[in-house]
Amino acid sequence: MTEDVNPKAIMDFLKPRLGARLKTWIETCTHCSMCADTCHFYLASGKDPKMIPAYKVRFLRDLLKKKGRVDKAYLQEIYKTIYYECNMCRRCTLYCPFGIDIGFLISTLRGLLTSLGIAPEGLKKAVENYKLTGNQMAVSKEDWVETIQWCEEEAAAEVVGLKIPIDKKGAKIMYTVNAREPKFYPQDIMEVAKIFAVAGEDWTVPSEKGWDDTNLAMFINDAPTARMIVENTFKRAEELEVKQVAVTE
Amino acid sequence: MDLSSFAEGPLLWIAFLVFIIGTVIRMAQFIFVARTKDKPLYNYFSVKYILATLARWLLPLNVTVKKNPVFIICVYLFHICLIVVPIWLAGHVSLWEESRFGWSWSSIPDKWADWMTLLLLAIAIFFILRRALLPDLRLLTTAGDYLLIVVTVLPFLTGYFLTHGTVDSIKFLGDNMRLFHVLSAEFVLILIPFTRLSHSVLFFFSRAASGIEFGRRGYSI
Repeated sequence: MTEDVNPKAIMDFLKPRLGARLKTWIETCTHCSMCADTCHFYLASGKDPKMIPAYKVRFLRDLLKKKGRVDKAYLQEIYKTIYYECNMCRRCTLYCPFGIDIGFLISTLRGLLTSLGIAPEGLKKAVENYKLTGNQMAVSKEDWVETIQWCEEEAAAEVVGLKIPIDKKGAKIMYTVNAREPKFYPQDIMEVAKIFAVAGEDWTVPSEKGWDDTNLAMFINDAPTARMIVENTFKRAEELEVKQVAVTE
Repeated sequence: MDLSSFAEGPLLWIAFLVFIIGTVIRMAQFIFVARTKDKPLYNYFSVKYILATLARWLLPLNVTVKKNPVFIICVYLFHICLIVVPIWLAGHVSLWEESRFGWSWSSIPDKWADWMTLLLLAIAIFFILRRALLPDLRLLTTAGDYLLIVVTVLPFLTGYFLTHGTVDSIKFLGDNMRLFHVLSAEFVLILIPFTRLSHSVLFFFSRAASGIEFGRRGYSI
């Protein structure tokens, strides 16, 4: 049963990424299994052999051998493994005699599936939000600025003279948050504002794109979007001429 | 020219040339492909991290030794025997002396070579049993993994038979053991650049790549 999977699309993604490291790592693994009991998925599943890191990346070798000629069911098998059986912590690499970076291989597979339109729905939605609004929760600029303003008002009731400076040029620190904070946990912003106020720091938050410091595009290996997110933050830092960028806890 | 003189003449040249040129190409490929596709390796290139990681993993100073001492000691012994016996065996050294190169170097006592060969064969059997019996490895192991172990130790088995005449009672084997020994060794040399045996050279590059990456992030290398 070969449903509409385009082998060319698979090879077009893999070929330019087949660098020296990737190729070497795919070809030199000697299946020694030293990585097995370093994996928390392996240990937590009662030592299920299917959870051995070296086994989880068998797909890459397979895909190259089959020249991308696989079916939808096979892609689903890859999807299950790379999203639910590995979180790319790289602990196995610390124990691999060759230093094979399994996390890098898994990430490559995630990027491949992303390029074919396969990724967890929540992450896909978040990445769309980044592209449209610059933050993962699709908070508009008006909402963001307004949230900062009322956070300032409420926090100032507790700490006299507290300010949350917006777009203050030449400040020492530019503070960035997780987009969930303005959306669901504005109290976190207030707590930080209090710390900055009491510590007497010279700080600011940007009003434009770049204030969200999370990068969920990285998890599905959507490199262009991941890059755009980081660049937004750098752009703001340069515009505001700050010395440091601080990220939320 | 009969098969014997072909195996010990032109084929020997071919085997050595394929091995040397093949491995050099594999190394050159890594260096040149990395230049365009693995830029972080060049951007963060660090001799310090490379030497540190190589020392750690060539010597038993790494975390994996502590985690699996028995297996890793076997792996070290296997590789030491694999390299030392063919290079420093008195019989081989004398062949180099007689050859057109006239090269000569010291050799190990034959008694040592015998024991090292037997040790290597025993460890190979242990490796094969381990792959066949442990459920983890059964899933991971491919037919090629078994084949490579067998192919790698065949020159040692035939070499032992050749020097001790163990199976000379079977006339065919006794008459041709030298040929089998030479052919099996040539086969291994030719396979090295094209199979997982290439880990013998690519180990250094793979290790170095991870050393650079982990070293600059301050992880354990």
